[in-house]
Amino acid sequence: MSTKEERERIELLQGTLDLLILRTLLRGPVHGHAIAKAIEFNSDEVLQVEQGSLYPALHRLIKRGWISVEEGTSENNRRAKFYKLTPKGRIQLTVETRRWDKLAGAIARILRPRKQEGES
Amino acid sequence: MRRRKRMLKELDEDIREHIARETQDNIERGMSAEDARHAAMRKFGNVTQVMEETREVWSVVWLNQLLADIRFGLRMLRKNPGFTAVAVLTLALGIGANAAVFSVVYGVLLRPLPYKDPSSLIVLNETTPMVGTVSVSYPNFLDWRNQSHTFSEMAAVRGVGFNLAGVTQPENISGSAVSPNFLSMLGVRPFLGRDFDASEEKAGTPPVILLSYSLWQSHFGGDPNIVGRTIKLDDRSFTIVGVLPSNYRSLDKTDVMLPIGVWATDNPEDVKERGARGDLGVIGRLATGVSLTKARAEMEGIAARLAREYPASNDRFGVALQPVRDAFVSDIRPAILVLFGAVMFVLLIACANVANLFLVRGASRTKEVALRIALGASRGRIISQMLTESFVLAVLGGVLGLVLAVAGIGGMSRLIPADMLSGATVNLNGAVLLFAACVVALASLIFGLAPALHSTKPDVQSELKEGGRGSSAGAGQNQLRAALATAEISLALILLVGAGLMMKSLYRLLAVDPGFRPERVLTMGMDLRTQQYSKDPAVLNFWQQVLDKVRALPGVEAAAVGTVIPLTDSHSRSDVTIEEMALPTPGNYPHPDVHIVSPGYITTLGIPLLRGRTFTDADDEKAPLVGMINAVTARRFFPKEDPVGKRFMFGHPSAKNAPKWCTIVGVVSDTKLYGLANPARLEVYVPLRQNAASEMTLLVKSGADPAALTSAIREAVQSIDKDQPLFAISTMKELVSNSVATRRMTLVLLGLFSGLALVLGGIGIYGVISYSVAQRTHEIGIRIALGAPRRDVFRLVVGQGLKLAGIGIAIGIAGALGLARLMSSLLYGISATDFETFAGVSILLALVALLACFIPAQRAMRVDPTVALRHE
Repeated sequence: MSTKEERERIELLQGTLDLLILRTLLRGPVHGHAIAKAIEFNSDEVLQVEQGSLYPALHRLIKRGWISVEEGTSENNRRAKFYKLTPKGRIQLTVETRRWDKLAGAIARILRPRKQEGES
Repeated sequence: MRRRKRMLKELDEDIREHIARETQDNIERGMSAEDARHAAMRKFGNVTQVMEETREVWSVVWLNQLLADIRFGLRMLRKNPGFTAVAVLTLALGIGANAAVFSVVYGVLLRPLPYKDPSSLIVLNETTPMVGTVSVSYPNFLDWRNQSHTFSEMAAVRGVGFNLAGVTQPENISGSAVSPNFLSMLGVRPFLGRDFDASEEKAGTPPVILLSYSLWQSHFGGDPNIVGRTIKLDDRSFTIVGVLPSNYRSLDKTDVMLPIGVWATDNPEDVKERGARGDLGVIGRLATGVSLTKARAEMEGIAARLAREYPASNDRFGVALQPVRDAFVSDIRPAILVLFGAVMFVLLIACANVANLFLVRGASRTKEVALRIALGASRGRIISQMLTESFVLAVLGGVLGLVLAVAGIGGMSRLIPADMLSGATVNLNGAVLLFAACVVALASLIFGLAPALHSTKPDVQSELKEGGRGSSAGAGQNQLRAALATAEISLALILLVGAGLMMKSLYRLLAVDPGFRPERVLTMGMDLRTQQYSKDPAVLNFWQQVLDKVRALPGVEAAAVGTVIPLTDSHSRSDVTIEEMALPTPGNYPHPDVHIVSPGYITTLGIPLLRGRTFTDADDEKAPLVGMINAVTARRFFPKEDPVGKRFMFGHPSAKNAPKWCTIVGVVSDTKLYGLANPARLEVYVPLRQNAASEMTLLVKSGADPAALTSAIREAVQSIDKDQPLFAISTMKELVSNSVATRRMTLVLLGLFSGLALVLGGIGIYGVISYSVAQRTHEIGIRIALGAPRRDVFRLVVGQGLKLAGIGIAIGIAGALGLARLMSSLLYGISATDFETFAGVSILLALVALLACFIPAQRAMRVDPTVALRHE
């Protein structure tokens, strides 16, 4: 990786990759490479997924039953695995999103305290 | 599992596809094919590692987590060596004590008996209101077996002693004459040779014998061709037909086993005489589907019928049924269960102490935990990680505990009287290890859960806000710690009450006057079994020679022989008829213990003569029959008159034989024949020369250590008959001591456990108070700065500790009042709610609590306000 990348790109926090994958799959089934590209693209290339790390995460989500996998052919007619959000995964996405918002808000409040603080 | 395989099989395909796409993208961006591929590879990362990580997803997650947690736990424990050492040692004591006591519980109460379906095996005895449980007469056994339908099989076991004239020293061995179906009924097959045959039940059967495994090893070197050889017992040859298996267990010691037909040949009287209740026990196997209750009902009916049919021998005789396990366990069960309860308490106290340690340490870790929760770790995950840490600690404690247990088991099996174990082996085995593992798991839950739940309480924000204060712990935590210390004190009090009650009982018991002077008296058994002693004069001559030779030995003050010596298992009782008294119904005759004794018996044993005279050499075969009675007998039958000069006879008067009246010449003090805790019973004494007996105990009173005389006495006896064995050699002191062995064992162990509990409880209070002083340094500093006298500070701290102790003692007393009743069968002379014991123990605990508070209170008193206020 170049020095430029190291400066601008942020390593993902543990656990957040799952959330991002779920979010990406909300738009419909895609294959692995496409997920990586989507995360990079949608975060204006700030979040850099080391693409390999996607696979343990995908498998983890499959095991938990939040996503499923099916065979298919891609746009250029190549065989590929398509990952798809399950109903359970859809619920999980809303839960995780809400939790993320809460945590981000809490951290933000700690980092930049406003006048009235601490209403939880 | 199948899904896992499928998912992983296509993984490398997937990855290859992924890299191909990225390469393609790069080429489209204008890279050369070579560069594009390299860039894609770089962006993907380490393929092997990705595969590895993905594979891990499908492996057993909790196991990996557990391993990580264990590593983390070990790291944490290494970082706090002091904490770890104290906690591990505390747990090791608790777990070790549990494992050691459980090894006894398992060996004695739980280990399956080596029989086929042991739960349907029942031991049957006769009962009489005069004595309680007694042996069965052979004719009654035969009727039981013929008439009962609730038992599929029944077998008789008759104890027989033999003299084995060995190569070196003659010895007395124990034999069992059994019904031929005995072994097959138990499901035991001989290790070598054959079982007995049905034809060997009747008198006249040739003398054949089975050897015990240990006798086969010790006397025949484990000779594999032993079957068909002979063994000389008394002076008869027995053909060895087999060897019993090494794991054979029986209620009574069995060196050799023979068919009951051989015994029947030798004892034609006992076979026929319904009133002859010798050393004969009966074991039966319940028929399929029959309950003990149903069998008992049927047997009681049979016994009642026999009592009506044969009143002379069976009036008021009933039957007692007992599962074979109970017969093996004998009287030791309550002691074992009390001790098992006690070690559980010790373990609970140890757990409370360790939980307290965890809480103290947890306090310094609350911020770590709070941060992790804030960062999204689930509470369950943190709890499971903290529990793993506890578990690691408990495992370390368990391993060390097992080391302690090995030592403890050795000590305990020496403490437990051998006859109480009746052949049970107490050792560290798989069952004990399994139990220890369960204890470890349970203990880690007990002492780990409360602190873990506590330090992960979801008030994360408050913890984060509490900011810099280093030792902050909420009020809730202090309450929990105080509660734990209180619980420790309560448990310790219960244990101490148990130990105190035992101590007082044993003290009272040993203070009981046994009715004889056990000091400096040696006892040894002899049984004249060979042909040369078949006539009375030969027997009497032998005893006279023994007494003459032994009395001539230097250091011997007195010597005598007697049949039934106090505090042993051997008893001989007989109905007696007292002259000029209304004849009772057959079951209501006086049934005293009968002592056949040589002159000098009561002097040797130091039994006081209350009235009349003792036997002399003049009371011989030609002289009129005489006897002595004990005080209980005198009071019962001659309450208003002098018994001396009155007459009694053995048995019931009948027309067939002319009554042989014995004139009472003396009254002696009662002896505690049946144990110090048991009341004296009726006893009569008759002189040896008028009642020749071939099995007797030699009593020797010496001027110094009686045991030192053993070899001189043995030589003296063997100079008369070189093949005559002496057995059951012990001092009278040892017999007294053995008679309270179960209680002594209980006391020693209970004392040990409660001492441990006391120390742990003290440490518990010390920990809570000194931690609270440390926490309150600031506050104490302010108090002192504001002018509070240091004495008040001291009082404040001690008061806090004493309050905990007081609550603990109150709860403990309530608990002890409930629990001590469970051990009432072990107590003697005091009630389970003995006030003195309760008061003494409470004071002791209060003193220990005071001591535990003293050091932290002094520390509090010396707090320097300037330092304390800068303490932040």
